[in-house]
Amino acid sequence: MKVTFPHMGNAWIVIQTLFESLNVEVVVPPFNSKRTLNLGTKLSPESACLPLKLNLGNYIEAANEGADTIVITGGIGPCRFGYYGEVERQILIDSGYNYEVVTLEPPDGSLLGLAKRIRFLAGTKNSWAKILMAMRFAYLKSVALDRVEDLIHAARPRLPNPALTEKLYEKAKEQLVQAMTEKKVKDTVAWVQESIRERQEGLNTESVKPLRIGIIGEIYTILDPFSSVGIEEELGRLGVEVDRSIYLSGWVGSHIFQGLAPGYRSIRSYSKHAKPFLPHFVGGHGIETVGAAVKFAREGYDGIIQVFPLSCMPEIVAASVLPKVQDAYKIPIMTLIVDEHTGHAGIQTRLEAYVDMLERARLLQESIQTREGVLSVGG
Amino acid sequence: MRIGFPRALYYFDYFPFWAGFFHSLDIELVISPPTHRKIMDQGLKKASDETCLPLKLLAGHIQALENVDYIFLPRMVSIEADTYTCPKFLGIPESVLPAVPEGQSVLTVTLNWRNSKRQVLKDLEVLTEQLGKSKAEIRQAFNKGMEWQKKYQNTMGAEWDFEDSLNKVESASWDFTESNISNAPLTWKERMISKISLIGDKAEKQPHLAVGEKSDRLRIALVGHSYLTHESYANLNLLRKLHEKVDVELVQNVRQEDIEGHLSGLRKKIFWSHSKQIFGAGNKYAEDQRVDGIIYLTCFGCGTDSIIQELVSRKAREKHKPYMLITLDEHSGEAGLVTRLEAFLDMVERRRVHEGYVSTYGECLDSDSNAL
Repeated sequence: MKVTFPHMGNAWIVIQTLFESLNVEVVVPPFNSKRTLNLGTKLSPESACLPLKLNLGNYIEAANEGADTIVITGGIGPCRFGYYGEVERQILIDSGYNYEVVTLEPPDGSLLGLAKRIRFLAGTKNSWAKILMAMRFAYLKSVALDRVEDLIHAARPRLPNPALTEKLYEKAKEQLVQAMTEKKVKDTVAWVQESIRERQEGLNTESVKPLRIGIIGEIYTILDPFSSVGIEEELGRLGVEVDRSIYLSGWVGSHIFQGLAPGYRSIRSYSKHAKPFLPHFVGGHGIETVGAAVKFAREGYDGIIQVFPLSCMPEIVAASVLPKVQDAYKIPIMTLIVDEHTGHAGIQTRLEAYVDMLERARLLQESIQTREGVLSVGG
Repeated sequence: MRIGFPRALYYFDYFPFWAGFFHSLDIELVISPPTHRKIMDQGLKKASDETCLPLKLLAGHIQALENVDYIFLPRMVSIEADTYTCPKFLGIPESVLPAVPEGQSVLTVTLNWRNSKRQVLKDLEVLTEQLGKSKAEIRQAFNKGMEWQKKYQNTMGAEWDFEDSLNKVESASWDFTESNISNAPLTWKERMISKISLIGDKAEKQPHLAVGEKSDRLRIALVGHSYLTHESYANLNLLRKLHEKVDVELVQNVRQEDIEGHLSGLRKKIFWSHSKQIFGAGNKYAEDQRVDGIIYLTCFGCGTDSIIQELVSRKAREKHKPYMLITLDEHSGEAGLVTRLEAFLDMVERRRVHEGYVSTYGECLDSDSNAL
């Protein structure tokens, strides 16, 4: 049995770790690329959302490397993602790929069923204690990954050479892939902090106050740089510090561990923040999107960008509520919708225009202050 | 007190429940007129761009309601155990609030059948304050609503037109209750409008054949959300156009047992109630020898249909059933629809004549072609 799984940003590092520590053979599909998307789009229903198309592309590319079992998480909606496993299975069978699909969820609410599925994946050699240990370690790694990612978010606008910052990020990820002990994981985070500190030496970082933009929206598109056309890197290069509503470990904590582990940047508080605008869950991360927008606005962010795949149902509900948040907190919110036709240049143009607008707002504020000063002298 | 009920979305399935509910509470229910151009235009202006046609229509109908104390926008989270409605239903009323005219109050209540009946009753009690009714009255109204809904569902769309079924349910309920006409859940004006719009239908209507009866006419199944198949303005009168030429089967005509029986072959239960009905019915029609073809009616951007349509089309392909997908949006043109419809019906007709003995030339042009 060779297990594979769909890509979602850095999630592959965590999933690979999980299976490798259980001695299960795992095939990491080639990274999301134009080719992946083209392969997936051919097989997908045309109006399905972007993640499904990328998933299918991942499976086909993984099949070429010998994978025969797919692991995916599930859930009972009402977001479409909950039904991905079954639809993907049928599509793959009809297209001649002989895949076994294991959906990690309690089937019809039966925990025994979930245990059986885990057992099927882990084989007979692993004890439950070992499985739990492996899950814990994978979780710790995902938290470390998120910390590194957030450090990079802050480093991008502040450090002079963007290419070097990306290199640092890649190197840190590489180290995390290889780290198989808790100490090594912690050391990597410390190493990233240290490298950033070193490179900051001699720079006058105190005076730099980059614009801050919160990125909210559908989890796949905000976690996966390929589908959001590298929006975070792009913003970083434009001198903006970004933060995100959901990080991988936050999602793992709430979705897989059912809220037992908070993860990096817990998503628990969001529904409280969202309450005045959207008091009921709408599936997916609709309520988290609204809640995060409120939270970012309250924390004094300069702008908020919502990203979601075309026709995403929960995010559409969130998007129709967000204008109220925008009015209430006087914060500009931009919505970016991505699909298989999204072009890099189009997104880049919109981001530049948006950042320009935020910068102007800031300049304007400063100039108003000086004028007040002049008038007070005159009057 | 007058409460406005938009003729959109949940109107086409769950109106009987709410009609019974408010009727029992002695509250006048005003329904927005059938969709017309202005309603659609108003809806397009106020609704979010990305949302689907039915929600845009809902936004239009909200604006068409005038002189009412409240506009009723329930949040129908779930209508049976283990399922949800579409996420966009869950976002009502917040997502359509921009369409509500300024100063107009909105009445909302959460209806969630996932847990238990007790929970539903508890949720409905929220209304006591706003409506000035007692808990006992709400309880009674709930029962009345359920009774009406059941009556409607028992007709199984036999009256073929939603408004027709509704009228029938209503008149049956008249004999049942001693209430006088002035308590009608629909206003008089409203009744007249719905009557007028039906006269045209009735004049042209062919004698309706009961399910199972033999006829020379083709039998085409139209599957899709009720708020599309019955929304005659948005679907460009598709139902009537079809009915002029062929016998039509709808999702509503399928018995619940049949639907449950045709959910096999799925490893995971479908968790959207509407989609479950559609898939079950589509699957049944795909197997049904008396049905000559299936038309799936969807609208652009429908999330649940993007998945379910794929599953139904697979079933149809498996059973070699002619299958067509029609996607509606606010730009749908009538000529395009008619052309496709005629071509489809011609194909089905020809297939029937030739009994499937058609040249195999070009059969395997692509993996998706529906080889006979």
